[in-house]
This record gives sequence, C-alpha cells and structure tokens, in this order.
Amino acid sequence: MTEAIGLTVSDLHAWYGDSKALHGMNFEVRRGEIVTLLGRNGAGKTSTLRAIMGLIRKQTGAIHFGSQNISGRLPEAIAKYGIAYCPEERGIFASLTVAENLVLPPILGKGGMTLHEIYGLFPNLLDRRASPGTRLSGGEQQMLAIARILRTGATLLLLDEPTEGLAPLIVKQIGAVLRSLKDRGLTVLLVEQNFRFASRIADRHYVVENGRVIDTLAAADVADGTDRIEKYLKV
Amino acid sequence: MMELIGISPALLFGQLLIGLINGVFYAMMSLGVAIIFGMLRIGNFVHGAQYMLGAFGTWFLLQLPLLFPGLGLPSLGYWWALAIVPLGVAVVGAAMEWLFIRRVYDLDHAYGLLLTVGLAMLIEGLFNVRFGAAGQQYGVPESLQGGMRLGFMFLPYYRLWVIVAGLVICFGTWRVIERTRLGSYLRAATENPDLVRTFGINVPRMLMLTYAFGVGLAGLAGVMAAPIYQVSPQMGQSIIVTIFAVVVIGGMGSIFGAIVSGLMLGLIEGLTKVFYPQASTTVIFIIMATVLLLRPNGLFGKETVAHHVADFSTVRTGSLLENGRFWLAAIAIGGMIFPFFFYPLLGMKILCLALFACAYNLLFGYVGLLAFGHAAFFGASAYVTAHCAAVWGFAPEAALLSGVAVATAVGALFGWLAIRRQGLYFAMITLALAQIAYFYAVQAPWTHSEDGIQGVPRGKLLGLIDLDVSINMYFFVLCVFLFGFGLIYRIVHSPFGQVLKSIRENEQRAISLGYSTNQFKQVAFTISAALAGLAGGLKALVFQIASLADLFFTTSADALLMTLIGGVGTLLGPVVGAVIVVLIQKELATLGSWVVVVQGAAFVLCVLFLRKGVVGTLEDYLGAREERRRLASLARITEKTPKHDDSSRNS
Repeated sequence: MTEAIGLTVSDLHAWYGDSKALHGMNFEVRRGEIVTLLGRNGAGKTSTLRAIMGLIRKQTGAIHFGSQNISGRLPEAIAKYGIAYCPEERGIFASLTVAENLVLPPILGKGGMTLHEIYGLFPNLLDRRASPGTRLSGGEQQMLAIARILRTGATLLLLDEPTEGLAPLIVKQIGAVLRSLKDRGLTVLLVEQNFRFASRIADRHYVVENGRVIDTLAAADVADGTDRIEKYLKV
Repeated sequence: MMELIGISPALLFGQLLIGLINGVFYAMMSLGVAIIFGMLRIGNFVHGAQYMLGAFGTWFLLQLPLLFPGLGLPSLGYWWALAIVPLGVAVVGAAMEWLFIRRVYDLDHAYGLLLTVGLAMLIEGLFNVRFGAAGQQYGVPESLQGGMRLGFMFLPYYRLWVIVAGLVICFGTWRVIERTRLGSYLRAATENPDLVRTFGINVPRMLMLTYAFGVGLAGLAGVMAAPIYQVSPQMGQSIIVTIFAVVVIGGMGSIFGAIVSGLMLGLIEGLTKVFYPQASTTVIFIIMATVLLLRPNGLFGKETVAHHVADFSTVRTGSLLENGRFWLAAIAIGGMIFPFFFYPLLGMKILCLALFACAYNLLFGYVGLLAFGHAAFFGASAYVTAHCAAVWGFAPEAALLSGVAVATAVGALFGWLAIRRQGLYFAMITLALAQIAYFYAVQAPWTHSEDGIQGVPRGKLLGLIDLDVSINMYFFVLCVFLFGFGLIYRIVHSPFGQVLKSIRENEQRAISLGYSTNQFKQVAFTISAALAGLAGGLKALVFQIASLADLFFTTSADALLMTLIGGVGTLLGPVVGAVIVVLIQKELATLGSWVVVVQGAAFVLCVLFLRKGVVGTLEDYLGAREERRRLASLARITEKTPKHDDSSRNS
C-alpha cells in the first residue's frame, strides 16, 4: 500500500515570520511520478518545496513521505529519508571546484548513481571538473545542481524551476535527463512556470495560487486543459 | 657588515628567533580566529581569554596536588597538559558556542563582537579576581631543557620544538580545510548553510565543532606558551588585538593568509626591535594601515561581501521619545535641578560619558558603522586638552578646542582608512588603529605612560568663571553636553542625516541614487570623532587627569555598551545607557576587581536579553500600545454597525 504513495502533503500552512505563505496545501506525488506545481510568481510553489525540506520552520499540517510524517523535522533529518532539494538559484558553491561540488552531498542511501554514470549523463561536467563551480555557464550550473543530488541515493527530488533562464536547447536536454530519472524509478516534484516544458514530461500538474492548490490536471487531459492552465498562469 | 651598522649578529638572530616564536603564536591564534570568522562570521574576541585558559590549564595540572590537597591527585606535567588541555579548552569553547554564540549568528556583527568582548571580560576578570595580575612561572619540560649552539647563536630546544610543532599544526590545518572533504563541507556551509543542511549534514553541530576546534587551537597555543611567557590573566588581552590586526593583514577569512601573515609579522616585529625599538609595538598596526591602503582585502584575501543586516530599533516618527526639542529642554531643566540632590561630580561623569555615547551613536546608530576605536578620539582629546592646560597653561576653552581639533584630525585620518571596509572588518580596523594611538601614548614622553597627565588645572572659563568651583564646572559641562546633544539632533534630522540613515538601511541603493556614500561616511565619522573628542577633553578637565585607560579598547567597548543598553539608533538611548553604566560603576566601586566581571556579564546579558536597549524596548511597547488602541477603536466602530443590523433583524 505505502509503496504506491510517495509524498502526501495535507493541509500545509507555513509562515515567514508574520507573513503567511502557504494556506493549506494539499497534494500527493506517487512513487515514480513526475509532478509539477504550476503557478505565478509568489503563489507559494517555492515555499512548498522549502517547507517540505524543513527550511521553513514555522509550519503546521502533515507531510507524509512513505509512512513517516516528516513535517517539523530538521532539514538534515529530512535529507536522510531520501529527499533531495535543488533550489531555484542552484546553490553552486563558488569556493568549491565542480568536482568538489559534485561529491559534496554525502551518500545517504543505496541506489544512487555512480560518478561514472553521472558524467555519462552530463559530459560537460567531466571536462570542467577542475574549474570553480560558479565559472560554469547557467545551463552547466543547473546540470551540476541536479547531478550532485543524484549520487546521494535520494528517491524524491524537489527541483525548483530547473529551466529558468536557460536556452531552449539546454531546456530540452534537462527534459531528457528528467525522463531518464523517471525511468530509473525516481520520484520528482517539479516547480515550473514553463508549462510547455512541464506538459511534456509530467504525469500530473497542480496549479498553485495564494498558497493553496486550486486545480489539478492529469497528463492525459493536458490537450484539453491547456487553455485553462494558461489562463491561470497569465499575468 | 652587520657590525658596520652597529648591530651584533647575536642580537639580530636573537631577536629574529623571538620574532619567529611570536610569529608561530600569532599564526596559531590568527588561524583559529580566521577559521571562526570564515565559517561562523563571528569576530571571536574571546580568543585571547581562551588562550589564557590553555596556559592556566597547563599550570593547574602541574599544581593539582597543591590546588586540591588531600585528594591524592598527581601533578601532571607538560606532555600531559599538551594532550589534555587543548581538548578541555575546546570543550569549554563548544559549551560557549552552544550557550551563547549560536544565539547571535543571525544578528548584526555588533552583537557577536559585544558578546565575545563580554565573555572575555568575564573570564579574564574571574581569573584576575582569583590570581591577581602577577604572572605564574612554568618551567620548561625536562625533556626539552638545554639547547644547541649554532655558532652565531644559542637555540634552546624548547623554542625549536615550539617552532616545529606550531608550523606543523598550522599548515596541517590549512591542508585539511583546503584539500579534504571535511574542508569542503566547511567552505560550502560558509556560503549557504541552509542548502548544506538539505544534503543531510548537521550544520549547527559542524559549526559548534568548528568553533571548538578554533578555540582548541588557542588552548594549544596557551599550553605551548606557558613555559615561554608568564602565565597571567592578562596574557590573552595583550595579544588579541594584535591577532585581529594579523587577520586583517592576511585577509579576513583567508586561512593561508592568517598563517603566513602571523609568521611574517612576528619576524618583522623582531627586526623592528633590533633597528627601531620604539616602533616595535605599533609596527603591526602600521603595516595593517598600509596594507589597507594598497590592498583593502588584505594580502591573501578574496573579495567577500560582508552582508550587513541592521537590527536597530524601529523608531516611530513623531514619538515623544524622539522629540529632540522636548528632551533638550527636559535635560536642561533636569540638569539644573540635579546638583541640588546629587554630587555634581556624578552628574559631570554621566554627562561626559553620555556625550561620548551620543557621538558614538551618531556613527553606529545612524550610519550603521560598527566602530570599535572611539577610545582613540576620546583619549587623544583628553591627553591634548590635559597637556595644553597643564603644561602650556591654555585657558580651559582653548585647551578643550585644541583637544577637539586633534580628535577631529585623528578621526578624519582613521575614517579615511577605515571606511574602505564594512561590518566586522570596519570594527577590527578601527580597533587596530586605536591601538596605535594607545601604544603611542604608552611610549611618548609627554603622555607619561602609566602615570598619565595628572593635576590638570580647570582654570577660568573665558578668564571669568572659576571652574575649580564644582558647580561652575558642572554647568559648563551641562552646556557643552546640551550643545553636543542638540547638534547631533540637528544633524540626524537634516537632509544630510537622512542620507546617513539611507546608507544604514541600504548602502547600494543610496549609491544608485547618486550619493557618494563614502564621502558621507567620512564626514559622519569625522563629526563623531570630534564630538567624542569633546567628551574626552571635558572628562580630562572634570577629573583633572588624562590616562591610558582613556585610550584603551575597553573605553571603545564602553561606548558600544552604553549605546546598546540604551538603544541603538534612538535619540535618548545613549544618554539612558550612560546613566545606567555610570550608576552600575558607582555601585560596584567597592567590589574592586569584580567590576570587570560584572561589566562582562552586563555585556553578555545585554546581548542575549536586551538587544533593543531600554529606550528601544520602551519604544516598541509604546508602539504596540498605540497599535492596540487603534485596533480597539476600529473594532468599536465596526462593532456598532452590525449591532444595529442585529437589532433590526431581531425586531
């Protein structure tokens, strides 16, 4: 039973100091799925990822991963359940080389990729492994940010706008990477504003507005629902 | 050739050896400070006290049977100490991090600095109470006695051991941090601690261990220092400011820079002792000033953005507490009544220190610059005023103005050097510059070192009013204070003051609006120094003495403490803080050497529990009350409307 259920977020509220960011998020990501959170700037997508990861300390509600309620745990404890987070700003460390960035997150579980596999997936990183992390191009930095959480054996990846500000060719490449991760059985919760990109790879879409989910769209309904979604995302 | 310039090789190599030994200790200490600063963004002022703990720990272990007679404890020698004491000091450090230091990570650097200054005063004060100022001797371990003749000099084995062991430890630590996985965690955690936590690394624990390690290095240096220097409660205090200068020279946060600069500066200090002994105490600070001019980031420093998060009191506009005209009148009236109830001397002390704190607050509270060297301006003016009045026979007003003029000039120079950096760097630079002034006064003939300038005549004001009459002096001080207080109020509420506040809030934005913020900072710094000088000169006339204490860094710390207790960035805060501090000092005067302990405790408690200060807290309370009233009156208005609805529905 619990095998099918990956992540279940129920009635999640979260605050930054006095200002409330999440007003009762409800959604689920089943094991092996790619699910996106769509929505405008400030809708609460990033806050949702940060709350799941334990980076927003002031929160109520339940976040079940498998059979465990991880809400309120510390980030370092949540990582040990096999959840990994790739922030929107990518978080490449300037004082570390590409290779050091890549091996920075410790291996916490079985089933992670080997360095060899990772370099196979991202050949650019192999060429540039000795340069300082922030000397990479935006696209390469994004690759590195994703690559370094693949070694750890995490089973759920939280990716925050991996395609933001990248050239179409790189976006395509990242799409291919995500599909190959899905083939390996990884679960991905993706925050996106680029619906065209999301619609090609995700199993399900949740539309977020004002800190709660206001609509759901399965991949099968994308063709009919595109207008509806675009209305939500229109500024 | 050496003989030609009148220096014997024995003297030269002897001083070079001493310089190298000092350099090893500088390197070990600055390494710890650099690691703690780099990883935790804390300027660990308590590092000197922790070094002292290491030396005392070594001495304790040897004295165990004497200290605890009847327990049958063995006397543990040097090698035992080398194994046990650094660990012990590291555990003490971990406890300090857990109890105190982690509470200020997210706050402005001022709090970290004040907290560690307070802890240092607390620890050193306690040891001073127990052991007094006299040093304890600690013999060189038997296995390292003796030495070797090198032809040109005699090299004791113990010193050789210190050099070799110190260098191995320094470069080993550097290698671990630069080249290993643990080091990469540390470097990454410095950049983005939250993200590193999401990788499953317990960053808070890692920071605690880092702090403990840095402190342990200080403890180890203390053990190694015990047979060379005197083991005394002051040993850390005298080295810590030099260490901060070394770290600035090496480049803040650069571990390699700290090690190399430490060694190099020790040697340079040794050479200076040979060729120009008068400058040996200040040479490091002069090098620091030069390095700042040529390479503001230090010799090995990378450009780091010191994020400056101001956490000052939110002052409501229109609050009575900020109404300068009202308080100017209130203080004038209160000041006139005061001498009928209390000794004028107490009032004069409060007024001098209040003016000093107000001057400091102008810079720290309104421009957000964490200066830590205002003792230089206060003390310089005190000395010049005292000298002009006592030796040259100037009238008091002329002596005071001369003092202010010198303080202004010193302030303009120090400001010009210091405003190149921000945040904690700024604090360390101002501190180091102030130390130059301090060491100058220790050595210069006209300042009479330990004695200071005593018996300063108060003279006749404008040739008419005899200031030797206490009440006349009191009213003169009151007038000068009101002038300074009013001037600061005017400055803060002028367009110039608005720009200063905008620099405090967001310097980048002020620059983008077209203000050359450095010029504004320079002017503010100079005005602040001039007013601090006014306070110092007054103090010299009131107490008829200028002494080294006026120039010592504890005076700078007092300015910061008064401002913080009262409320940073508030109009009245520094005045209230001065009243509190002077009253505490008066009450504690009978406690003797406990005063430093209590003062240290006040620093710590203030940082932990009273960050907004008395005035800031009061301001918040008043603001909250106003808000509650506004909401209540709003609720009353809205309540009335539905009531009508209800009644109409019911009927």
